[in-house]
Order: sequence, then structure tokens, then C-alpha cells
Amino acid sequence: MKKTWLTALLTAGLAVSLVGCGAGEKSNSPKESGASATNASGEKVKLSIWHNYTGDDLRAQTMRATLEQFQKDNPNIQLDIQGIPPDGYRARLKTVAAANEMPDLFVMWPGVMTKEFHGGDLLQPINELIDSKPEWKEGFLPNSFNDFTIDGNTYAVPMALSPTSILYYNKKLFADQNVQPPKTWDDLMNVVDTFNKAKITPIALGNKAAWLAQSSILSSLGDRVTGTEWFLKAVAGDGAKFTDPEFVQALAYLKQLAEAKAFQDGFNSIDNTQMEQMFAQGKAAMMIDGGWALTNLAANASPEALADMGATVLPSVPNGKGSPNSLSGVVGTGLGLSKNVEGARKEAAFKLIYTMASPEVQKKTLEGNQLVSYKVDLDKSKVSPIFAEVYSLLGTVTTTPVYDGRLSSAVADVMNNGLQELLMGGSPEAIAKKIQDAHDKELAMTK
Amino acid sequence: MTTSARIKGFILIGILPALLIYLFFVVVPIFWSAYYGFFDWKGIGAAKFIGFDNYAEVVRDPIFWKGFKNNMLIVAASVFGQVPIAMILALLLTRSNLFQKMIRASVFMPMVLSSVVVGIIWSYIYHPQIGILNFLLDSVGLEHLKKAWLSEPSISMYMIMIPIIWNYIGPYMIIFIAALQNIPSEINDAAQIDGVGSTRKLFQITLPMIWDTIKVVVVLCISGSLKAFDLIYVMTGGGPAHTTEVLASYMYNSTFNVYRFGYGSAISTSIIILSLILILGSQYLMKRDYR
Repeated sequence: MKKTWLTALLTAGLAVSLVGCGAGEKSNSPKESGASATNASGEKVKLSIWHNYTGDDLRAQTMRATLEQFQKDNPNIQLDIQGIPPDGYRARLKTVAAANEMPDLFVMWPGVMTKEFHGGDLLQPINELIDSKPEWKEGFLPNSFNDFTIDGNTYAVPMALSPTSILYYNKKLFADQNVQPPKTWDDLMNVVDTFNKAKITPIALGNKAAWLAQSSILSSLGDRVTGTEWFLKAVAGDGAKFTDPEFVQALAYLKQLAEAKAFQDGFNSIDNTQMEQMFAQGKAAMMIDGGWALTNLAANASPEALADMGATVLPSVPNGKGSPNSLSGVVGTGLGLSKNVEGARKEAAFKLIYTMASPEVQKKTLEGNQLVSYKVDLDKSKVSPIFAEVYSLLGTVTTTPVYDGRLSSAVADVMNNGLQELLMGGSPEAIAKKIQDAHDKELAMTK
Repeated sequence: MTTSARIKGFILIGILPALLIYLFFVVVPIFWSAYYGFFDWKGIGAAKFIGFDNYAEVVRDPIFWKGFKNNMLIVAASVFGQVPIAMILALLLTRSNLFQKMIRASVFMPMVLSSVVVGIIWSYIYHPQIGILNFLLDSVGLEHLKKAWLSEPSISMYMIMIPIIWNYIGPYMIIFIAALQNIPSEINDAAQIDGVGSTRKLFQITLPMIWDTIKVVVVLCISGSLKAFDLIYVMTGGGPAHTTEVLASYMYNSTFNVYRFGYGSAISTSIIILSLILILGSQYLMKRDYR
């Protein structure tokens, strides 16, 4: 029997070595850089910075070049730069945050992540920097700092902009079928019908990772039905619930799309990239995707295909409380500043934060087919036609919140899985209830 | 010091490094994560002690039990799929001519592929639009059987079992072949002289002779199935809507996507307890001696 126990323990041990690794993993690297810094100006200071610009796209290249240039221009500031591939970046950052071993500067998301880091007492505000450069401050689009601001303190400035629900459409396919981009919900249903009859997928969807239907479709569709104010109330748990008829109605609209066969078969098992490919290859007439698609499309689609693409907002819904001329979006990542940075190192950090988000860099970023939250005159010859179209579209619409940018990760997870279920034929009421239950639990925990 | 004591001392020193590594990287984290399970912890900030709340939630969590059920399906598929198939292949492929070697190598091949590669290959086989499976059905006139294999909740779990079985037959087959070759030829010869038929020989000589090996393989199968994660993570991520969630993927999602480190730890501790029960149960069931 003794032997049996041992075998059992060994196998069980193997079964969980996975979580063991995850929970126990700690990185030692960033902490040391702080210790040797000095306060006297003129002497060398060291700063560690973590970023996720490791890709080969124009944006990442621009950001890396900016960091290198900064290092050359400032021999007194020694940068310890760590680039981490985007897929693993969030998890790495959260892990060092858990171990309280944050780098001095790090690429940080607005909204929930900023809130969590603020709650963990890991950040310090950069108001001083923003107020010292009024012209720069004015250059940002209205409300750009909102998601980085807590209790009047701003913790980062955005270096990009991410609209999440743009309706991309294929002009050629629309012309072939003699239809117009949909302006109302009925239009959309008719268009879906037309394309289905012509055996063309109306809307490409890749919802394997589950956040797409939530961030790109429901965030905007929901806002059309309920209005932004309702959503903010529901998030705060103050006078609105996800079980309210308006939200259930929004879910019902989404379900209606799935029932009308607006999406191709198996949309829950293909990913975002495959969906963008489907659209780029002209196999689908529309897709509802974020601003991030632009960089991918520019890199992967043929020039002719790019010229055929158009962009607009989601159609309006009957009796909707929200503005039909809006799309959901969040400002992009900014550089967060660790609480432990002081004195001369703080000055150096401010300098770097400014450089990375300066008007020149924002302009270069924009020319790399990446939207920014900064007022820049776009030279249309430098970007793809679809990018130029989205850019001018953004000038004419208002931005509404993205659901998972405001909800806690636990609630967003329930919502994501709920939407997958909904699209497979689940009941809107039951799913709304699940979301509200998760949200109630979250509210109870924070109170 | 007597010789036997010296040998024992030597053995102790010999296993010490491995034992220490094992203790620190496997046994200690098990207790560590059981301890984390008592906290409400988002990974950042202060952890709040909440007693058995996480564990109580695990027990009441329908998704956890759904994952457990899926794990049990995989255990069943492995024990009743992998083991018999591996056994049949081993019985057929004991000789070492070129043809048999080739078949053996090809059965073993998926084992040397990374599971991410296997997952992606099968995702493309099952792909709803460009998948080879739907293409095949199309070309033999069975269009009505075409499906979105991985996103139809009623079948997706079974569709995932096929690559899991396919992937892990190889090593079990090799273990069985080795065991079969260890059966002394005298016994086979004696049976032949006594005029034993091949079916009787299989059930009364071959199987009892390798019963211990079968036990080991079944234990490996069960523990391997409880660990099932990589293929599922790559192919469906546990979705759509948790339909292909297994315990390990649910633990991973709760910990690293939803950032409930305490709850994730409670799940992993529950996985250990369930695994222990299962392994002990299977050992008990197979205790009876065939010889």
C-alpha cells in the first residue's frame, strides 16, 4: 500500500506542477537597477523599462528606434530595456506586480489594469509632467486621460488609440450585389439576407478567443440600445442591472444576427487573425473589428484588396437610447511610472515618458498605420486608403466605453463565455442573469 | 559499519539531489498552492484570508464539475481507446521487419511533435471552411455530414478526444512491445505443444504475463488524462462557452486570465485530491492478481 501511495503522490504532483510554476515564478531582474541610482544631477542614472514592441510592424519599429535615439541623446541616463513579446506581456507584468518587483517604467493599459496597479499602490502620478507642458497636454484628443486618471491624478498618457468596433465592408462585393452599407438594423438584416442568397458570408467572425464578440460587437451594439449612461450605472451597480430589459434587448439583437446566419459556420473555433484573412481575401462582405486590424491588413492584404475596403460605424437600432454615430473604443497603452522612482531618476523618467509620447513620435506612429489619441495632420499618401478612411471616420464620431475596459476581468470572462453561448442559441435572459450574478459578486467583494 | 548500511547510505546520497529538486519544485508548491487557496488574491495588492470560501465555491461551481466531467471523458477515451489500440498494435507489430518498423515509427511520430503543432494541425483538419475533413466529406458526397467540428457543443469534446488518442498511442505501444518481448519463449512453446488456440493463449498466457505492465499503463493513462491541457488550450481554449473546458484549462483561465490566484490555487488543490482518489481507486480495482 505504501508504494501505491507514492505512485499516486508522484502522478498527482505531475498534474499540478503547472500551477506550481505559475504561482511561484518570480523575476529578480528589475529591482537591482533602482539601488545604484544617485540623486545628484549630472551623475549617471539608471532606469529600467519594459515594453511590448517586439514585433516587426512599423509601430514597434518606431518605438524601438525612439528608445535607441533617447539612449544616444542622453548619455547620462542608462536604460535597461526589456522587450517582451505582446502575447506574454500582460502576464509577465502582472507576475512582477504580484511580487512587487516592477520595473521603473512599463507599458500599461488604461482602465482596469491602471486601476489594479493603483489599488496595489505601485504607481505614482505624472500630473507634474503633464502640467509643465500645456501645449502638449492640449494636443491630446478630448478625454484621452480619463482612463488613466484616478481621483484626479493622471498616471500615464496614451501612446495610441484603439477603437474596437468598426464595421469594415468590401465595396466591391457591396457594388456587385447592388446594396449600400447598412444604416439601420433593418438595412443590416436585408444586407445579410442578400449576401446569404448570393452564397457569400455576410460577416466574418473569429470568436475563438471569446472577447471579440464582446469588445467589437456588443460594446457598440449594446451602447446603441442602452445608451452610455445606463452602462456606467450598471458598472457602478447604481440603479441599473444587466438584467434590465434594454441590455437583454441588446443581447437579443446579437442573437438575431447569429440566427439570420450572418456569420460563417464555426465562428467560435477560428481566431481574430483568420477572420481578418477571410475578409481581406474577399470571402466575407463585412467584418466588425477594431483599429488593430488596420496594421494587420496593411501588412497582409494586397493593395487592390485594401483599396476595396470601406469603414463605417454599426447601424442604428430602432428606439435606441444611445447615439447611433458613435463607436466603442479605448485609448491605447501608456507608460506607467513605478512608485519607487525618485529624484534625478524621476526627472529622467519624465523625460522618457515625454519623448515616447511626444508629437513627433505620435506622428510617426500614425504614419505606421496605428491610430493615436493625439491631434496630428495625417499625410494620406503615407498610409493605406482604408487607414485614411478610418482616420477620417474617427473625426466624425464620439467614443463610447468598451465593456471589458470597464468591467473586472472576472465579469468580462463570464460575459465573453456567455456571448459564445448566446451565439450558439443560448437565452438572452439567462445569460444576462449570469453576467449580473458575477457582477454582483464582484461589487460585494470591493465594497 | 556493515556493508548493507554502507550501501544504504550510498543509495541515500545518490537519490538526494533528485529528491531535493522534486521536493522543492513539486511537493512544496502543492502545499503552497493549497495555502494560497485560502486567500482572495488578485495577484496584486493584499491577499485577504477568507478561510474555506474558495474551496466551497469550487465544490459548488458548475464549470468545475463540467471540467471534471470532460476530464472523465478523456480518461475513458484514453483507458478504453488508447490502451486497447496500443495493445492490438503491439500484438501485431512484435516482429522487426522493415514494414513493421515503419508502421511503428509512424504510430510513434505524433509523440515527437510539439503538442502545439499537433493542435494546430488538427484545428486545420477540423476547420469549418478550409478543413480537410469537410473537404473529404464533400468529395465523397456526404455534404450533409459537414460540421463546424470544434464549435458545435454536442460534438466538440469528442472531436478533441480523437487527436488526444492519436497523439499518445505511441509510447504505450512501445511499452507493450517491450513487455511482450519479455515473455519467456518457453512458455509460448509449451502452450503450442499443448495445443492451445490463439485466443486462449492471448487471455490465459499473454495478458496475465503482462498484467503488471497494463496496470502501469492504465495509471499513466489516467494521470496523463487528468493533465490534459495543451491540445485543448491550442484547439479551443476550453470554449465555446466552457463546453470543452477541462480542470487544468479552467484552473489556468481562472488564474491567469481572470486573475483570481486564490481561486485558481483552490482549483488546483482540488485537482490533486481528485487525482489521488482516482489513482488509488484504479489501483484498488486492478489489485486482483491474474497469475
